[in-house]
Amino acid sequence: MPQMPKRVKYRKSQRGKVRGKASRGNFVSFGEFGLQSLESGWLSAEAIEAGRVTASHFLRGEGRLYIRVFPHKSVTAIPAETRMGKGKGEPEYWAAVIKSGMVLFEIAGVPEASARDCLARVAYKMPFKCRFLTRRPNI
Amino acid sequence: MAETVVLAAEARPGNGTRGARKLRKKGQIPGVVYGHKEATVSVAVAADDLHQAIRRGARVLDLNHGGKVEKALIRDVQWDALGHYILHVDFARVSEDERITLDVRVELRGTAPGIVAGGVLVQQIHQLHVECPVISVPDSIRVNVGELQIGQSVQVKHLTLPPGVKVNNDPEAIIAAFRLTAVEPTETAAITPTAEQAEPEVISKKKEEEPAEEE
Repeated sequence: MPQMPKRVKYRKSQRGKVRGKASRGNFVSFGEFGLQSLESGWLSAEAIEAGRVTASHFLRGEGRLYIRVFPHKSVTAIPAETRMGKGKGEPEYWAAVIKSGMVLFEIAGVPEASARDCLARVAYKMPFKCRFLTRRPNI
Repeated sequence: MAETVVLAAEARPGNGTRGARKLRKKGQIPGVVYGHKEATVSVAVAADDLHQAIRRGARVLDLNHGGKVEKALIRDVQWDALGHYILHVDFARVSEDERITLDVRVELRGTAPGIVAGGVLVQQIHQLHVECPVISVPDSIRVNVGELQIGQSVQVKHLTLPPGVKVNNDPEAIIAAFRLTAVEPTETAAITPTAEQAEPEVISKKKEEEPAEEE
């Protein structure tokens, strides 16, 4: 089942704009390899779940997967053929706000070739262009 | 220990964003040299040379600028948002008889027999805070995990360190541990909501206030 927050202060949120590049969460922190988004936008909880399932199937219990993003934002929609007005629609799904450069998934405990294969499959499920990432040189 | 790398640096006249951007377009990286109570100097180094030095694991290098060569530690590196390019580099002056503190990466060596039994090796510490002489900065601290069984771990106190190197981390801290996949609760399992939870609970003040109004 897709992720969503346990408790929220408000059920509905304004759309906002996704501007600029990520200045946090833009490098591999927990694992050894990562998948970095090269575009900005909303990543739905379903897409995150699809990526998780793909990676879990590929890894088959080997290594460890880290999900670096969480769907904090509710996205509303109004039903089809609805007249104008009557206020904001009901929450349709939950999404994570992604800035370009953010690391979406990380993997540890598997060889690089295997991690590349795995994250390439995960990238296929993502609505953004992504790239494979390794840890930064230690300075 | 890494080989000694000599890096040519030239003084740069202009400070500020525009000057730095011009340098980057020319294939150079702006930097600064400071320390030892000497004047702070703004320099520029060739991007390719610096990338190569960092990739080789060089931390202390000979910086050739203004007609003199001095030892410098790469203290900090700023990357662009995507981690493609280096934007700026900090060099700290050091002398050969000095002891310095810096972070050194941990390198796991060997294939543990626990992997065959279905275990997962989880590395919890990727870099160690070490104190060492300038002339013997290790490239990495190697940790042998070739004999680890499921349930066992390597702690900081178990490390075999190169001579003159002292680790400042907590001796009880776990560097790498072998765990059974089934036992280890995944991060995702912990945060995935149950099927009953179709919508999150709303934290509202109204519910608390309403009974008070009725009274």
